[in-house]
Amino acid sequence: MDAPPRVECENLVKRLPSGGRELTILAGVNLSIAAAEFVAVLGPSGSGKSTLLGLMAGLDRQTEGTIRIDGESLDDKNEDELALLRRHKIGFVFQSFQLLANLTARENVMLPLDLARIPDSRARADELLERVGLGERGHHYPSQLSGGECQRVAIARAFGPRPKLLLADEPTGNLDRDTGLEALDLLASVREEQGTTLVLVTHDHEIAKLAGRRVHMDRGRIVREES
Amino acid sequence: MKFFLAMLRESRGSRGRLFFFMACLAIGVAAVVGVAALGAGIKEGLRSKGREMLAADLVVESRRPLGDDIAPLVREAGATELSTVREFATMVAAVDEAGSVGKSHRAMVKAITGRFPYYGDLVLDPPGPLAEALQRGVVVAPELVAAAQVRVGGQLRVGGKLLPVVAVVTREPQSLGFASMLGPRVFIAESQLEGTRLLGFGSRVKYKLLARMPQSDADSVRTLAKRLKREPKGAEYLTVETWRAGQPRIRTAVRRVERFMGLVALLSLVLGGIGVAQIVGAWIESRTQAIAILRCIGMRPREILTLFLGQVGVLAILGSAAGALIGTLLPFALSGVATEFLGPEFTLGSVFQWAAMGRGVMLGLGIALLFSLPPLTAVWRVSPAKVLHAEAEPLPAPALMRWGARLALVGGMFAAAWTQSRSLLLATVFTSGFLALTALLAASAWLVMRLTARLPRERMHPYLAQGLSALARPGAGTTGGIVALGLGVMVVATMLIVESELSSGIRTLIPKDAPTLFLVDVQPDQWEGVREELITRGADPIQSAALVMSRIRAINGVDVAELAKRRGGGRARWSLTREQRISTMETLPASNRIIAGSLWSEANIPEVSIEDRFARSLGVKLGDWITFDVLGLPLKLKLTSLRKVEWRSFGINFFVGVEPGVLDRMPSLRLAAAKMDESQEQPLQDRLASRFPNVTVIRIRPILDQVVVLLEKLAWGVRGLGAFTVIAGLAILAGAISATTLRRRREAALLKTLGATRKGVAALFVTEYGLLGAVAGALGAAGALVLSWAFLVQLAELEFAPPLWVIPVAALLSSVLAAGCGILASWKALTAKPLESLR
Repeated sequence: MDAPPRVECENLVKRLPSGGRELTILAGVNLSIAAAEFVAVLGPSGSGKSTLLGLMAGLDRQTEGTIRIDGESLDDKNEDELALLRRHKIGFVFQSFQLLANLTARENVMLPLDLARIPDSRARADELLERVGLGERGHHYPSQLSGGECQRVAIARAFGPRPKLLLADEPTGNLDRDTGLEALDLLASVREEQGTTLVLVTHDHEIAKLAGRRVHMDRGRIVREES
Repeated sequence: MKFFLAMLRESRGSRGRLFFFMACLAIGVAAVVGVAALGAGIKEGLRSKGREMLAADLVVESRRPLGDDIAPLVREAGATELSTVREFATMVAAVDEAGSVGKSHRAMVKAITGRFPYYGDLVLDPPGPLAEALQRGVVVAPELVAAAQVRVGGQLRVGGKLLPVVAVVTREPQSLGFASMLGPRVFIAESQLEGTRLLGFGSRVKYKLLARMPQSDADSVRTLAKRLKREPKGAEYLTVETWRAGQPRIRTAVRRVERFMGLVALLSLVLGGIGVAQIVGAWIESRTQAIAILRCIGMRPREILTLFLGQVGVLAILGSAAGALIGTLLPFALSGVATEFLGPEFTLGSVFQWAAMGRGVMLGLGIALLFSLPPLTAVWRVSPAKVLHAEAEPLPAPALMRWGARLALVGGMFAAAWTQSRSLLLATVFTSGFLALTALLAASAWLVMRLTARLPRERMHPYLAQGLSALARPGAGTTGGIVALGLGVMVVATMLIVESELSSGIRTLIPKDAPTLFLVDVQPDQWEGVREELITRGADPIQSAALVMSRIRAINGVDVAELAKRRGGGRARWSLTREQRISTMETLPASNRIIAGSLWSEANIPEVSIEDRFARSLGVKLGDWITFDVLGLPLKLKLTSLRKVEWRSFGINFFVGVEPGVLDRMPSLRLAAAKMDESQEQPLQDRLASRFPNVTVIRIRPILDQVVVLLEKLAWGVRGLGAFTVIAGLAILAGAISATTLRRRREAALLKTLGATRKGVAALFVTEYGLLGAVAGALGAAGALVLSWAFLVQLAELEFAPPLWVIPVAALLSSVLAAGCGILASWKALTAKPLESLR
């Protein structure tokens, strides 16, 4: 029997109450992503791409439909179980980096390693920082780093526990073009090394070209796929 | 652990918050430790001075002459020296060379054989050993020199006999503050008592045997004490004190005061808990994004809770430790308190009372953790989706957590109150009272804010309008500040009102016809003469009763020694073995009420009527047979009625009343009470002292004055502790304001951008905090009036006209304090540049 797809979305609907009315963010999304695949999700702002990403990680709950990670449904998991799923299987890279401001770069990278009880977290964090070209800057706080450096720390943090699935939400959105491309190269090459499934949300077609498959969204629906 | 330490870096940028967090706890812990350390210090002082205070290693004491079998027992146990002391109160007066008699004065006579004291210094002026001085005459306390013009070289009339005064005591080791209330000491050689008329039967004499034991042998003292409580004839009537268990009565009193004060102190700690809850709430709010990130990378809410709780714990330990340090030093800063009560010779024990400090830190830590739990359940509410979009909906916190946290809080508070008071009842009253008052204050604060919101603000000064609207805005985090400050004001105002009402009302507490003096130990044949003297000086009304000194020998045929053993120590033993003054009761006095049985209802059976509460502590019920021992003769009486006595009538009342006829041929003494003009009291006392030296006069007025003084001293301590609650309230308010610095800063920046000057923004803030303080002060004072009324009218049954002016005064004071603290706490917000804050 074939292994189940890494991510499977079935008829996902997400509605939010907004000023007395209901706002439909996702209107029936079906998407299946295989292990080690690199998928870019494209679309204008408000098309529901980030919401889809959030649902895949169990950060948010869909209104209708089903999501499965490695064949396991997220629907009936409670908050604790979702947290454990994220801890062991899912990594994140965000547009606004989302580093903890009161931890150093190294401590930020160590945090998920320690949570997953990976031994020698400090050595592994240093190794990862070295890999993203910040070997010398582990003791700096996020406020002492540039945007590109912060994003590299975030990438090192995301890959730390060797997640099976990495979700990236506009990772270049807050960076200038060159720095953004650099960060993206890094993301792509570490993914290659670790064989991670990567779902990248972006509105930049240039960047999306790096992905093996591109999914176009508009008004809460997948309107086109290309590979 | 690594991350735990790393997370401690939370302190970056929130130093103000941390400071107030620790201050809230430190204040409360300081109060708790201060009380505990003072108690422990006094007990330690008593223990270290045990020998000096007792003057010996062991003292046997009784109200009756000590049996012949006691001294041999003590000697057999290795005593190297024995002395005896007889103590009794009597009237003394100075007599000069010309033979004219000065004012009479009540004194405590100590008649001594052998050496006294074995330990501690008794310093005389002129100097010399006491025993030698006593061979020549009497030695007096300095108070007599001042009060009765006694002087060395003159003569003192003691019980009708003139004795030369040979020295004045300048220092006495065992004189504790309380002792002097019984009257100044007069030392006299036992042999001198012959020829005085003082040792008639029934006088209230204390017989003491002092023993000096070999120093090295602490165990033999304890063994001897145990044997003395068992073996001698009439052992159940003996009190045995050893220097190790020094001053059991004072220790009991200290323990009682400590427990009460401990609860007052706990109040400021619990208030600190409210502050902690507020600060933690604001802290969590400011860390929402970090919590979302942590949840996003796979941390479970309960792990995040533990993380924050761990930080709370570390900070709480630091704050509590600081408070404990201040607390343990407090008694020394206020060492006057101890000497005030226990005499100038008294010294406290060691500075660092580790047990008290440890308890304070544990309480501080416990309170901090418990009060942090409810706000910390907010970590469940932070949606991890906040990392993607800031407006993500909050999640519901599990009901189990929310209610569990609240339940733990209430339970923990009860446990803390129990630790402090060791009484389930007090702990229950404290916890439920605190919760009820808090709820009431919170509800009133909410109501006031709602009303404020509805005030038409258009025509007001813009600052006032802004201040009012700030007060009324939802989630301003100021409700907690109002509640805490209000509770602080309530505590202090209640103390002040109750204390002032009590000290001014204590005289009115006594009914108009209540006697102003009592005459004790009047012999039957002296009564006519005494009565004559009373009438001559306009005493009216005069009450008197013949009473017979006795002890209980058996109840329902069971020997009292056996009963005392069965009932254990404490009040039961005291009730059973005390000297019982029983009296004939012809009819029921007006201040008495029969609550069970009926008075003198059975024919041909000698009956007794006992006061209800005393009967309970004796453990007797209607129908029981009680055998009294009157100078060795048995007197068997049946208990046929129980009475309730209105003791506040201050008339002559007895625990034990006997059917007429039964006591007729028993040797009796007369007790009298009379109301008379204050100016007539001293002449009467002088006259009685010369005509009937064995009669003791007890004047109520000076005693009341002393009670008022004592009350004031106690109130001073309670008020001091009350001040802690106000300080805690202010710290909480300042903490609440400082916790919202970010929002304040944005507000200030916005106002400045809109054209307000810095002064203008400050005025606006002052208005807001001032109003807040005024609301808290007014609510607190109103609550204090209700509490005072409940205490004075319901409990103490006094008249009470509520001093309503307290409300505006408290509102004004607390408004000024709150405005001052508020401005200090929002200094940062005021001085920030607008652009910095709006970015």
